[in-house]
Amino acid sequence: MTTHELDDPRMGNPAHWKPENLVGTMSIKELLFSNEYRHIALKGIFTALIMLALGGFFALVFRTELAVPDQQFLGAKVYMTLMTLHGMVMVFGFLIPVVVSICYYMLPRVLGTERLYWAPAAQWSYWILIVAAVLLVIGRPDFTWTAYAPMSFRTGNPFIWMGHLAIFLVAVSEFLAGAVLVRNAFSGKGGWKDKPLIAWATGTVGLLFMASTIPLGFIGLGLLGDGLGTTAFFDPSRGGSVKFFLYVFWTYGHPAVYLPFVPAIAIIYTIMPRFLGFPMWSYWSGVVAFILLALGAMPIGPHHFQPLYTVSGNYERFVQFLTLLVFIPSVLHVFNWIATLFMKPIPASARRAIPFKFMIFSIAFIVYGGATAFLNAQIAPDSDFIHNTYWIPAHFHAMFFGFVGQMAIAGFYYLYPYFTGRMYHQGMANAHFWLWQVGLFVKITAMGVAGYNYFPRWVYDYLDIPGWAIPQMFITMGGFLIGLGFLFFVVNLAWSAKYGKNSPDDPWPVVHDADTAPAAAPAE
Amino acid sequence: MENALGISGPQATLMAITASFTVLGMAMLLAAMLMKRRWKPSYAFEFGFIAIMIGLVFYADWSSVNTYSAYQADLNAEERRVSGEYVGEGEAAFDRVITVIAFQWGFAFINEEDEISRNAAVANPGEKVLFKIVSNDVIHGFNIPVARITAEIDPDEKREMWIRAPDEPGKYLIQCVNYCGVGHTQMKAWLVVQDNTEAADHGESTGENSNDNA
Repeated sequence: MTTHELDDPRMGNPAHWKPENLVGTMSIKELLFSNEYRHIALKGIFTALIMLALGGFFALVFRTELAVPDQQFLGAKVYMTLMTLHGMVMVFGFLIPVVVSICYYMLPRVLGTERLYWAPAAQWSYWILIVAAVLLVIGRPDFTWTAYAPMSFRTGNPFIWMGHLAIFLVAVSEFLAGAVLVRNAFSGKGGWKDKPLIAWATGTVGLLFMASTIPLGFIGLGLLGDGLGTTAFFDPSRGGSVKFFLYVFWTYGHPAVYLPFVPAIAIIYTIMPRFLGFPMWSYWSGVVAFILLALGAMPIGPHHFQPLYTVSGNYERFVQFLTLLVFIPSVLHVFNWIATLFMKPIPASARRAIPFKFMIFSIAFIVYGGATAFLNAQIAPDSDFIHNTYWIPAHFHAMFFGFVGQMAIAGFYYLYPYFTGRMYHQGMANAHFWLWQVGLFVKITAMGVAGYNYFPRWVYDYLDIPGWAIPQMFITMGGFLIGLGFLFFVVNLAWSAKYGKNSPDDPWPVVHDADTAPAAAPAE
Repeated sequence: MENALGISGPQATLMAITASFTVLGMAMLLAAMLMKRRWKPSYAFEFGFIAIMIGLVFYADWSSVNTYSAYQADLNAEERRVSGEYVGEGEAAFDRVITVIAFQWGFAFINEEDEISRNAAVANPGEKVLFKIVSNDVIHGFNIPVARITAEIDPDEKREMWIRAPDEPGKYLIQCVNYCGVGHTQMKAWLVVQDNTEAADHGESTGENSNDNA
């Protein structure tokens, strides 16, 4: 077994295992309750992929509804329920669990501990999230993932309390996951100056998980109590305050976007050196960026509701300034990745590896969607065409799907030979890859155009105003391309687990010569 | 079309900056993937880049606050507002004052003659119109695309917003941009700019538009 010479000790151990058919040999009992780190991680990853399928299916249904104006096959109630479940399932069910699970898989090996500390907490985190998902599907809330009070307990749905309880359970689950991430970041040999970047990522984001889910838990319980009439935190008609809700909610709501974002960054820092065969351009640039991102996350929540109050006061200006500054840690990361790619020739083996391709394009999407953050942060343009128009979904689909989702898929393809013992099918993986890149680009660009034309979020039908119908049609087409790509992905992972080529001892060898580089794996 | 915020100028600059970031990032990524020449950038390069970024942060903050403060200064001129409460003596500065009630789900526009319209706010071309907005149930949004301005209304608070009505007579969209319940989609109304050179109603009629005070 050979791995690459990664001369920098701060890289930790390579994220490398002996390829074996782990999924094939796992018993049901192990799958459900084993505390072995790879079992927990695989359970999390596969559950998250089911959530991705579910959330994507919801999206395709309501995208079809939106493709043309004035045509209805979904009512407002059904549409909004699907929209709410799409948001919640994707963020709480797919994005956060999948990147956290990939970190569970990689951390113990990179840090050399070979065990997930506090694994029972990870286990509880998983099962509590399952309960929350079941509650959401039964309760069918239609209050969008932000659950703004007092709207979210005045929906006329008798089971709406299940949605509120689910929010509380999500908070508990994420708190536990954060604790596990922090504990494991502090495990392993060596001082803090020798920790690999994935440990810095999970340490900082784990603290952010724990700090930010406390307000979310309070929001869940508060909405539950207000909805049942026992408390009145957020209901203005009974003496509560909407302002209070907004400040508490967005103290979680903004860090919530970093909870999947930072582990996805950690995946890049872990697998990029493996494909290139040399360490990152700068270690400390990455460390500083992780710390700054964690520090900046919580105070800037109020930028999500700028147009609600008089917005040129000193506090609002402070929030705007911090929001603009929080751009910088992300720029540090992107700079670091591109500088690393520049350093030495990129191996021919990397260029053909599907995880590497996904990684490069997710960097492209972080640039594409992230640059608009500079505009979104400012009060004046935000009060113009940005706030709650499709400009915002364009921004966060580029970041959440274009970057985080695609990095999760990159991590999945990377780990695939390690837990199945076989390589994926290169042709199907390429089809998946290109369908997603084209679909995502079309969808995100069309969303941005619709947003620039003031297309409002959360509508199930719209007027045939110039500049509205055509982008909507393009978004729907992009969505279906992504759906088709997902089918290739599912077929590939099922087919290859049984019929794929056997993985060599090192599925990701660094080979520079284009003629001898393996397409997916060397023929035995 | 002249806009109320008057932010076209700075906004175009900022959008150009944003676009150039995107192009720069994409170009660097492409170059890193495709160029033959290899190069280890010095750390000073990153510090320089970040220094430019910090400069842009200051510029963006300055530009945004100036733009929005200029808009609000107009609203707050002559101490018309005292700690967020509208006191009324400055309405003369506006050609028209319209009270807006946002509710689940729709808008009610009440003009100075206490006439109510459920779907239209009527103004003459080029008028300065003040909207005094309240919500009686949940958080609603109030967005007039042609005026390039958005506000949201907390049920506990009053909001004021002013626009300069377009010079071109016609119907312009007013919409809610904050999800306010299952009927959010239908929260649409029209800003009707009537042709005040003609006495009778002009062009598109607006259904129950009763306040034709030409």
